Amino acid sequence: MSGLSLENVTKTFGDFRAVDDVTLHIPNGAFVCMLGPSGCGKTTLLRMIAGLEEPTAGAIMIDGKDITPVPTHKRNFGMVFQSLALFPHLTVGENIAYPLRIRGVAQDEQRKRVEDLLALVQLPGYAGRPVSKLSGGQRQRVAIARALALSPRLFLLDEPLSALDAKLREAMQVELRQLQQKLGVTTIVVTHDQREAMTMADLVVVMGNGRIRQAAPPIEIYRRPADAFVADFIGSTNLLPVETDGGGRAVVLGHVVPGLALPAGVTKGLVSIRPEDVQLSQVADSGLPGRVTFVRDLGGTIETFVDVGGGTTLVAVTTPRQRGDIAAGAEVSVILPAESCVVVQE
Amino acid sequence: MTEIRKKGVSRRTVLASGLAGAGLLAMPAILRAQERSLKVGVYGGYFKDSFDKNIFPEFTKASGIAVESVAEPTGEAWLVQLEQAARAGQAPADLSMMSQVAMLKGQATDLWAPLDLSKMPNSANLLDRFVSKYPDGRVAGIGAVAWYITLVTNTQVYPEAPESWAALWDPANKDRLGLLALVSNSFLLEVTAKTFMGGTDALDTEEGQLKAFEKLAEVKPNVRLWYRDEAQFEQALKSGEIPMGQYYHDVTGLAAADGHPVRSTFPKEGGILDSGSWALSRASQKAEEAHVFIDYMSQPAIQALMSRKVGTAPTVKRELLDLTDEEFAAVASDIEPIIPRYDLYQTKSDWLNQKWTEMIAG
Amino acid sequence: MRREPPRRIADYAPLAFPAAMLVLFFVIPFSTMIAVSFFRRQQGGFYTPDFVLDNYGRFLSAFFGGVLGFSLMLAIMVAVICVAIAFPFTYLLTKSSRRVQIVWLVCLLSILSLSEVIIGFAWSTLFSRTAGITNLLVAVGLMAEPQALLPGFGAVLTAMTYQAMPYTILVLYPALVRLDPTLLEAARTLGASPLRGFFDIIVPALRNTIMATLIMVFVFALGSYLLPQILGRPQHWTLSVHITDQAIYQSNMPFAAAMAVFLVLISLALVGLTLLVGSRREVT
Repeated sequence: MSGLSLENVTKTFGDFRAVDDVTLHIPNGAFVCMLGPSGCGKTTLLRMIAGLEEPTAGAIMIDGKDITPVPTHKRNFGMVFQSLALFPHLTVGENIAYPLRIRGVAQDEQRKRVEDLLALVQLPGYAGRPVSKLSGGQRQRVAIARALALSPRLFLLDEPLSALDAKLREAMQVELRQLQQKLGVTTIVVTHDQREAMTMADLVVVMGNGRIRQAAPPIEIYRRPADAFVADFIGSTNLLPVETDGGGRAVVLGHVVPGLALPAGVTKGLVSIRPEDVQLSQVADSGLPGRVTFVRDLGGTIETFVDVGGGTTLVAVTTPRQRGDIAAGAEVSVILPAESCVVVQE
Repeated sequence: MTEIRKKGVSRRTVLASGLAGAGLLAMPAILRAQERSLKVGVYGGYFKDSFDKNIFPEFTKASGIAVESVAEPTGEAWLVQLEQAARAGQAPADLSMMSQVAMLKGQATDLWAPLDLSKMPNSANLLDRFVSKYPDGRVAGIGAVAWYITLVTNTQVYPEAPESWAALWDPANKDRLGLLALVSNSFLLEVTAKTFMGGTDALDTEEGQLKAFEKLAEVKPNVRLWYRDEAQFEQALKSGEIPMGQYYHDVTGLAAADGHPVRSTFPKEGGILDSGSWALSRASQKAEEAHVFIDYMSQPAIQALMSRKVGTAPTVKRELLDLTDEEFAAVASDIEPIIPRYDLYQTKSDWLNQKWTEMIAG
Repeated sequence: MRREPPRRIADYAPLAFPAAMLVLFFVIPFSTMIAVSFFRRQQGGFYTPDFVLDNYGRFLSAFFGGVLGFSLMLAIMVAVICVAIAFPFTYLLTKSSRRVQIVWLVCLLSILSLSEVIIGFAWSTLFSRTAGITNLLVAVGLMAEPQALLPGFGAVLTAMTYQAMPYTILVLYPALVRLDPTLLEAARTLGASPLRGFFDIIVPALRNTIMATLIMVFVFALGSYLLPQILGRPQHWTLSVHITDQAIYQSNMPFAAAMAVFLVLISLALVGLTLLVGSRREVT
């Protein structure tokens, strides 16, 4: 099987299972984001792929070949660290040329390759500068160029953009994606920033407590979260308890949601609905009755907090255009369109 | 950083634990009851402790003169202090125990008040060499304590005792000797002169001194350790690590008595006899008491007491002493000793030191 | 809160204490030493205030030149050996668990509590024929009969290295702890074996720390005067030993002071030269 395969990979530190029985296939040329809260095991998993940590159990395969025992320096995976790990005593050019120097590449060729890489990351002519004189974004680009110097089999990035300010980060996300598409290198980025993942990835792998919760394209993750953890972690969502009535219809807080059915054999769970999918009506109809407790008008969007009873508050997000004049204290009817509802388990 | 290395007298600290024992906490040094008193400077450490314990109380009892003992610092510092105080008419101590080189230096500035032998009948008991005189014949000092440096060996390595200092030169003893590291405390120039050049008079001229250095340089391949710290050599001698060398006669005897395989031998050329003298500062107002003290100290009975209790060689003639042969042999010998050429260390010390250092370290 | 620049004399008061200490414990003693080095030596323990160059003149001889050269060479060797051993050791130490680190650091600190005398005597026993380590080798069958490993240059060098090692490690430790661990990992992902990465990246990245440590150990070793006496032959006596001889045994303070001043100047010159070379390389 071509591409990277993780088979039942497990890593424990003492009693702590950092990575718990992870199995995953990443096809060649894919751009994968490993997403999850801190401590979920995503960085440990990346380090195992790089060979910097040894799996406690399981195997890591490349194109069907087990590389678990291969030491890091023989894997030819380029890696960008969160700290960037630029060598402080070397210039930009020397940093990028370091892997070439180890391979014994001729001086002329080294120089040419460095020029090419610097052009690629849009830092032409920076070869002679000391790395201490660079800005954060420039350091980022140097680290990327260095990791790509040997045309690696895999391109690994551990929280690469976390040190940059928000604006620069967004620009770099786009740039990184374009660079990857240009080179076609299989890329794995570890991040805790879902926006970053949504922007760049072909495949998002959501991790929690050392396990893969869902691995799917970004929009599917967003639209069809596999469980409550994913639904809650990706974007914001409303989670409401749901159960079946005798007739197989889904009942939320005592009200039947028309058109929504629970999967066969499931009698209760949670229904996840994105705030932008929640509809509010001031006309009393079949929806959930509720009372508006707070309105947050952000200009572009308006968030409306609705108390639907049972200690549950729903959030609905609308644009001003879509929404009538609903003020705090108003009685409203909340409509949950069945096609936007996803039934998940805890 | 360390206190282990001092001048020759510090060797006494080696003994301190064994002999003085309770003496460390002995007598308060100042006795107030009596009217007459005397300040006496003694080498700090073992000597002062022993004197405070064994000698001064007896003297006070016998004479009615209270003794305030003053611990002398080592080196030339005490001489400098006495000299400066005397210029101001002060005397930090009336009587002081002084090394022979310091005696000569003090004489050069008339620091020592002349002593009157007629006021000290016991001075007749003294061996001549323990009466220091100004060039014009005035008496500058009287011998206080004396000790021998001899040829010592480890009995396991040397079943037979060596007979002569010439053993130091024996090629068979390659890398086996421990010798004192300084020209002014090893007195090896005198040993060389006495052993090979007919006597220490051979050192009168610079030519003779150079010849002695030349001869002495032949010892170098045999020397394993040039020591400043006595404990280091003593330990190595006991273990046989360094089985031959020069060391203090009485300390070696005590080590042998403790069962260590060591012996001290008086070579036929004689042991090296080093000593300290009592000298009276010219600024002292207590000349009378000082004479009484020196006279008391020069009694054969007191010298015998010191030999037994302090381990010093007697300064009086042997026939006057009630020491048994064994007691006498523990601290001294009848063989004519090698007397160091203290005059050289006064007049040519820097030159000798330089030649010596270049010889051993070159 | 903004700091006001000092305006009145009283505003400088906080500086008075450190300044006074500096004057009291450094400027005065050092000036005194320089002054004494020009005094006239009176044969036999005295000196008189004067301005003569004899003391320096006496030092400028082949003999003392040799002693100085030996002292510098010994101190440099001790510094290089200490850093060569301590650097990888400390690096590995920082990689080990907290517990292991604490045990090692406590042991190292306890070595610091040993005086030079104790270290000297301990090694003289270890190197002796009668009780030394060669007896172990004989017992194991590696040697035919026990040997004395002292006095000699090797014994001096070993003991001085032993003495300076804890200082070296404790000086290197903070820098190595602060070192970004991903530097070596980055080198490994770029194709360097751990050993190669260590020498290519870790060592040069800490060049300044290594330089500073070398200088510190060098100066420390230069002042050693007891170990060369206890473990060496006279030709292994350092200038510090000769200074002690002159000051304590010969009472020749002016000459001792002159040698000490010379030693300080030479050390400062070497340190300055090292820093100069270091900063040059930084620029290019």
